[in-house]
Order: sequence, then structure tokens, then C-alpha cells
Amino acid sequence: MELELGLALPGGDLIAELGLASEKRTSTCRKRGFDDMFYGATSPPLFVHKDGDDDDGDDDDSRFNHLQELNLGSRVLVGWPPVRVSRRKGEEGGKRRVNCVKVNMEGVAIGRKVDLSLHDSYQALFLTLSQMFPKKQHDGEESDAAFYKVTYEDEDGDWMLVGDVPWEAFIQSVKRLKILN
Amino acid sequence: MTYFPEEVVEHIFDFVGSHRDRNTVSTVCKAWYQVERLSRRTVFVGNCYAIGPERVMARFPGIKSLSVKGKPHFADFNLVPYDWGGFALPWIVAAARLCPGLEELRLKRMVVTDDGLELLARSFPNFKSLVLISCEGFSTDGLATIATYCRGLRELDLQENEVEDHGCQWLSFFPDSCTSLVSLNFGCLKGEVNGGALERLVARCPNLRSLKLSPAVSVESLNKILARASHLVDLGTGSFAVDHRTDVYHMLMNSFPKFKSLRNLSGFWDASPCCLRAVYPVCTSLTVLNLSYAPAIQGDDLIKIICLCFKLQKLWVLDSIGDKGLAVVASTCKELQELRVFPCDIYGAGTTSVTEEGLLAVSSGCPKLNSLLYFCYQMTNAALITIAKNCPHFTRFRLCILDPGKPDPVTDQPLDEGFGAIVRSCKNLRRLSLSGRLTDQVFLYIGMYAERLEMLSIAFAGDSDKGMIYVLNGCKNLRKLEIRDCPFGDIALLKNVAKYETMRSLWMSSCDITLGGCKALAAKMPRLNVEIINENEETYEFEENLSDLHKLEKIYVYRTVAGPRNDAPDFVWTL
Repeated sequence: MELELGLALPGGDLIAELGLASEKRTSTCRKRGFDDMFYGATSPPLFVHKDGDDDDGDDDDSRFNHLQELNLGSRVLVGWPPVRVSRRKGEEGGKRRVNCVKVNMEGVAIGRKVDLSLHDSYQALFLTLSQMFPKKQHDGEESDAAFYKVTYEDEDGDWMLVGDVPWEAFIQSVKRLKILN
Repeated sequence: MTYFPEEVVEHIFDFVGSHRDRNTVSTVCKAWYQVERLSRRTVFVGNCYAIGPERVMARFPGIKSLSVKGKPHFADFNLVPYDWGGFALPWIVAAARLCPGLEELRLKRMVVTDDGLELLARSFPNFKSLVLISCEGFSTDGLATIATYCRGLRELDLQENEVEDHGCQWLSFFPDSCTSLVSLNFGCLKGEVNGGALERLVARCPNLRSLKLSPAVSVESLNKILARASHLVDLGTGSFAVDHRTDVYHMLMNSFPKFKSLRNLSGFWDASPCCLRAVYPVCTSLTVLNLSYAPAIQGDDLIKIICLCFKLQKLWVLDSIGDKGLAVVASTCKELQELRVFPCDIYGAGTTSVTEEGLLAVSSGCPKLNSLLYFCYQMTNAALITIAKNCPHFTRFRLCILDPGKPDPVTDQPLDEGFGAIVRSCKNLRRLSLSGRLTDQVFLYIGMYAERLEMLSIAFAGDSDKGMIYVLNGCKNLRKLEIRDCPFGDIALLKNVAKYETMRSLWMSSCDITLGGCKALAAKMPRLNVEIINENEETYEFEENLSDLHKLEKIYVYRTVAGPRNDAPDFVWTL
């Protein structure tokens, strides 16, 4: 279906008028070709991240595929869709009580904090951690989250390997996390 | 103006109603400033940190009505940390000291404590109306003090608040002498309700016109209440599901026909289809219907009730209504002005849901439509263009396509042209929320055409800084801009810094703003608070280790005459 859509001003190049740096856009009235890189055959189920640069990476395949994997029904996107908490099914008592724990990676100065109440499984947690602490191998690809060794300090002060106990038990007792290199 | 004595000027100002006009009037000359400030009765503070409470009260000692807003809008979606701020107590304390004649207080997205409520209850002898929207931090104990000490209370309206349940007795604290209630809304309370106390309270308040109950109020209780409150105009039911073989059910079926004045219906928490039939007798006079908390009511039952509501002006439903149901709305509700369609099932693609077809039908059948909130799975440019043509009167247009960045499914194009048509056609558009795949182009259109736009919400849109720059350079009436997950960086942030002083606030999260960019903004604009909300970083690391290139997760920028706030938590830095 061809769309003939014209919303431009009668004359003149608006971009030039506004004094903005020009690039390839010479007309404000055009059918924009679509960057197949992003949408290809199937739309990503929930989450698409757009690169900030104008020369959008044709090389950005790997990054995009990684991000596609991120969406497996776990709540990685905070606050989306923009629906008040009182309308969300299955979240008793309105606002979720946050459960933030500190995360440090061996050898990295700056720590992060992760809100465990936004995750419902170890898989979801590892995905978030891999976003926070991306591991770069020499070819620039990000490594599989499963290769992380993550330990946690439990309520008794002992350091345990993450993943051994059921998720519900884990989130009750975890005090903080440490990722081993 | 020296010709007129003050009383005359004051009398003239009585006719100057709106806040903006009164603000303008006060800037004309000193004499007018004085007359205006002493005769001002209502003050609205859009951002509680834009000005200190004492300063407001000192300037307007005669105010009877105060309205204050706290957290940024995105707090509704958990994007603002729990203890960010927005405390009501300083406002209550200042008012108690400087404006004891206060009669109405309206707070939105603020932290209100039981202590604050008690101070409020005890400090204002003429207090009549308390409205709390999306607030938190208080419990039913605080409500008990309001009930106890606010003699002559007319309105207690609690909408969407987080209220800690400390028992059901707060309703019993309304003394027997309290007969003045006109409006009582406690729909957001989660705990048990003392049915007897509620029924007695309703029975002794002959002026009660608006009553909204919480899910804990049983149908049995509702029946008793309805028997004694036949003058109600606005009713929010409690629980609305009972077995149809019970006496309670039969009583319910007979409760509604006698309501001659009922115009608004809401509540319907977990309503069942057979109970919903009880309200059929009043449907023909309804102007407002909210069924958005009734997931058990499916398309066909919704259609049955909507068919009767030909005077409806405002309709809130779940997307289980489907395009088919919306077609019925279009053919029945010719007076419709506001439509909100909420998603039933957030995390998966629902079997019944709504698409562009439903909205097209409504736009074509309901010529008075001016306010929309629509969650759907897809939208097309063609539909938006037609909708824009059908409904040029939109003042609020909020479209949420659930899949972020989803293009027009028919053409695979971004939705730039569709939204462009909306802003071009709807000259009175004040509020706009965008979604779907959008490039910088849509922002070009918004900057060019959306002259009356005051609030813009953007998510997962744009290609470059240009997008944000188009908006900041256009939209001369823009007051609130909230952006999440867009590729806008420092160049956009710093392109038109003077703009931020003409706006109430800017929110940006998960964009490309750096610490250096914010520092530059703060340095150029001393009358802005540039807040960095950094939940993820260790506090002590911030000062030493973070370079100016460090990307910031959340920033909140707002104009203020009060300087940096002194109640910010550890993770908020005001530059």
C-alpha cells in the first residue's frame, strides 16, 4: 500500500531554515525507507534499543541480536507499558516493595545496584547483570551470561554460589552480589 | 489604576479566575500586586520544589484552597525511586502557621505522613476538603485523625494512594455529629472496612452526592447503603460479584431503579457479568462509566451495557471491549468526550484487544471526542490521519502501542506521518503521548504545529539529538517534557537552555545524557535544579571516579526560585 503523505510547508527546506546541520534529509515530505536492520522479518517482541548515532550501525547486528535475546518475558523494561501499578495484574498491594542489593564485579571499582523485585528468575537476573557488566572478548562480542560466576552473601554472612537454591528462597536471603572474573 | 479604590480593584479581580490570569495581573504594578495577593483564594503549585511553602503562604495569607504536586509523572510507572522526595509536611506546617483559614488541600504524588494528617486535622478550623491523589506514606490512623478533628468536613477524596492498613476503625472516628459529608472516596484502601460504621455515616449525611467504596465493601453492605442514599450522583461500588442465587443478589437487582440522579458509575472491582445487570436501569442517564477494573466483563457483556448508555460522556474500559465493542460505542455514545482503553493483559498479546479499527470507529461516530488514552497492539498512519480529520478537537491524545518502537504493520513505516497529522489538525492539543516506531521527523512536526502543547511524553523514539531540539525550539507553550529510552544526548540538552526556564520540568531517563552535559547545564542556568538520580552507583565513588563522560540514568531538571532542595536523599545530586 503506497502512502502519499504530505505535511511539509509549501516551500523551502525547513531544516536549512532552522539552521540545523543538514544530512541526507533534503525534504520533509517523503516516504522514509525503513532500516531493515532493525525490523527484518520479525518484529522484536518487546524491546528495541536504538543507537544514538546517525550512521546507524549496519554492523549492529550482533548488538541487536543480543538485545532481542534479552526479552524473554522477564521484566527487563521498567515502567513499560506505562500503566499505574494499581492496574497491574498479580501485583498484590499496589506498589512493589523494592529489593535492591549491591553488585560488585571483581576488579571493577564502581559497583551497581540491582532491584531483585523486578526479576522473577535467575535467568532474568543474569541478563540484567550481563547488561550492567558486559564482558568484552577480543572480537568485541559480548559473552554469554551463563559464563558468569556470581556469588552472593546470604543473611548468615556466608558467600554462596548463585543458583543453587530456589529463586524465592534466594531473594529472601540475599544481601549482596559479587561477580567473579 | 490609581483612580480606583482598592475595594473596586479587588472586586474586579474576583472575575479574574484562572491562575495564569491572576499571576499576570499581579505583575502590572505594585498596587495591583498587593490587591491581588491579599484577595487570592486559590493557589496551585505545580512543582513543590519550585518554591518554598513559606514564601507562598507569606505572599497569599488569605488562601482558602491550596493544590501542590510533588513527584514527576513517571513516578506512576515506578521510574522514580521510592524515597525521592515530595514531602507534604513542610506545606502543612507552613499553612498551619500562616494560613489558618485554609479550607481545601489537594496533593498529588506527594509523601504524606500520619503526623502530617494529624497536624492538618488540628490546624484548620474551617477545613472542608482533602483530596489526595497518588500519594503515599500514611495509614488509616491518619485518616482517623482527619475524621475525628475536621468538623464540618465535606470532602475526603482518596484516589490511587498507597495507604497502609492499620485496621478498619477509622470510619468510626467520624463523630455522630458529622453530617456534612458531600463526597467520600476511599476506593484505594486495601484493608477491611467496618460496614456498620460506613452505613451509619452514609445514613446521617443527607448531602452526600459522591461515594466511592473500596473492594472490601461487600455487596450486602452496598445494598444497605444504597437503600439510604438515593440522592447519590456519583457511585463507586465496592466488591461486585455474588452468586445469582442469593438474596443479596436479588436485593442488588432491585437497588438501582430508584436512583434518579445517578450520573457516574465506577468501582466494579472484579464485577461479574450477572451482577452488572443490576445497573442497567440507570444506564440511560449515565454520563460517566468506569469499568476498567472489571476484567471478568468480556466483550459481549460490555456491549450489552454500552448499548444503553447513550448519554455517556466519559468511558473507561479494558481492551477486552475489542474493536467490535468500540464500534458499538461509536454508534451509541454520541456525546462521548473522553475515552480510555486500558490493557487487560500486559505481558502477552491478548486474544481480544483493540487495534486501529476500534479507534477509527469511535473517531468517526463520536464527534465530541476530545480526550483519549488508548493502549493497543498496533496503529497505522492511515488510521491516525483519518482520526485526525474526524476529531480536530482533541486536547489530550495519548496513544500507547504496547510493543515499543513498533512501526505501521501495513506499510512498515514509522508513525511520523500519523502523529504529524494529529498535531497539525488538533490545534488545541495540550497533551500528547507518543509511541510506536518514530524518527526525528515526528518531532519536527510537533515543533512546527503543536503550538498549544503543554505536556509531551516520549518513549523509545527518535534517531538523534535533532528530535529533541525540534521540540525545544518549537512548542512555545511546552511546560512538561518527559522522555525515556531515546537517543537524545548533551547536544540536545544544551541547545536551548533558556527554554527550560519557561517550562515546569524536564525528565530524561535511559537517554544519552552525560554528567558533563548536566554540569554544563547547571552552570549556565543557575535558576534550574539539575537533579541526577543515580540509584546504581555507590555514593562515595561518585565524586572521585565518575568522569564527565559518564552516562546518566535519570535526570530531572526544573525551574525553581528555592535553590537546591535540602531534603534530597543520598542518591539524588543537585548540580
